Amino acid sequence: MIAKRWIRCRGVSGLVALSLCVAATRMLAGQGAALSKEQADDAAAFREFSARVQEYVKLQKTVESSLPALKSTDLPEMIAAHQQALARKIREARPHAKAGDIFTHAACEAFRHASRAALAGPHSARSRAYMQRGDAPNPGMRLAVNGLYPDTEPITPVPPALLAAFPPLPVEVAYRVVGRTLILVDVESRLIVDIARLTLPPAS
Amino acid sequence: MRRRGVPSLVLLAVLTLVLSAGGVADFAFPLRANSVRLAVIADFGNGKQFQIDVAQQMVKSRAVFPFEFVITLGDNLLTGSQPSDFDKDFAVPYKPLLDAGVQFYATLGNHDKTNERFYKPFNMNGATYYTYKKGHVRFFALDSNYMDPKQTAWVETQLRGAGNGDWKICYFHHPLYSSAKSHGPALDLRKVLEPLFVRYGVDVVFSGHEHVYERVLPQQGIYYFTEGASGELRAGDLTPSAITAKGFDADRSFMMIEIAGDDMYFQTTSRMGVAVDSGVIHRTIRPASASVPHE
Repeated sequence: MIAKRWIRCRGVSGLVALSLCVAATRMLAGQGAALSKEQADDAAAFREFSARVQEYVKLQKTVESSLPALKSTDLPEMIAAHQQALARKIREARPHAKAGDIFTHAACEAFRHASRAALAGPHSARSRAYMQRGDAPNPGMRLAVNGLYPDTEPITPVPPALLAAFPPLPVEVAYRVVGRTLILVDVESRLIVDIARLTLPPAS
Repeated sequence: MRRRGVPSLVLLAVLTLVLSAGGVADFAFPLRANSVRLAVIADFGNGKQFQIDVAQQMVKSRAVFPFEFVITLGDNLLTGSQPSDFDKDFAVPYKPLLDAGVQFYATLGNHDKTNERFYKPFNMNGATYYTYKKGHVRFFALDSNYMDPKQTAWVETQLRGAGNGDWKICYFHHPLYSSAKSHGPALDLRKVLEPLFVRYGVDVVFSGHEHVYERVLPQQGIYYFTEGASGELRAGDLTPSAITAKGFDADRSFMMIEIAGDDMYFQTTSRMGVAVDSGVIHRTIRPASASVPHE
């Protein structure tokens, strides 16, 4: 009798387990599909981001070609004059530039996903903390598209893991990190080209 | 897999350190013919009297130990990037050295502006990372603010192509090893660079960023120095750890180096002219197969 009940219970448990397995497999398959859709969306967003960066660099090069070429010089005045003239001309060339022009909504999502993956794990958590320590830039500093990255603020070293996860950039522009915000800066003019706020995961 | 592309007879430097016992005041450089002589500074560009004191001490030291060039480990201009900042933070304090023909080879710190690479006295020739050779020493000046895959690939190509006979010295701003409290080691950077340094036989690495001096015990056969107190100072910031061979955080300092044959003589001198550390690193070449494994 006991044996029969045990077998019946086992049979029921087996059915439940089988059902759970099927359900779990379906769920995982669904998640996989969702994940691949997310990956595909992110890849497309990064392609669009890179195309927009190239557009910006084309404009920047056109603008810079109208200025005397900057070569190594003993005169810091020449370096400063070039930086200021380039910044002014780029501003004039894209007067209506605004946040999101290059970091589109989809690109911001893609950068969030890439950041989260690149900064996952205990090792990278330490690196993340390292970025915030000591003389990190003031996370409350004013950031505006077409504004200058402040002369007096340090920069955060961008972790190599992030740079490897992000789309590569032409030498004319670079990523910068301020707190959780990702910035695209023009290297020579120090202009902020675009801003993606709350992109990086919190340090904790 | 890890060693794909590495020539079978790549040699890796194995270093042994012979420290001068006790005090270091009597330390003397051999001043051998054809040796490579340099000074090392970092985190200096604040234009304050302490920086000027160190610069003057460098001039005094050079009368005894005529170093030919200076490598800077970043934070060259701490006050800004206006033309006056270049003068106040660099050109004025080091004028006697510049006038004497001493060359500076700079790297960028987190306070530097990228356009400093166009400042001719920094010898960066428009690049944020570059390499050059002095005698039998190959130097690799890296940009630790932005170690992207492109730069990492460049580092590997340059280290691999540098041959086996020359010393390989890398320098950049953020230290891979540090016992200072303010920042500590740059672990993400270490993860990327250290395997390359080990694989291609880098001998010595210099970094700044921490406003102290620290010599680290050899890590996987490589000697690491932090000299980030040539103008700035975080007094008492160093917490000597198991990796610390010697530290100094009571005053500003700079380093002097002579590389003669397979020996590297070094001395760290305080702002007041006191030798706070010194020693000799001896390099022994051996086949890569005997190298220390890495992560």
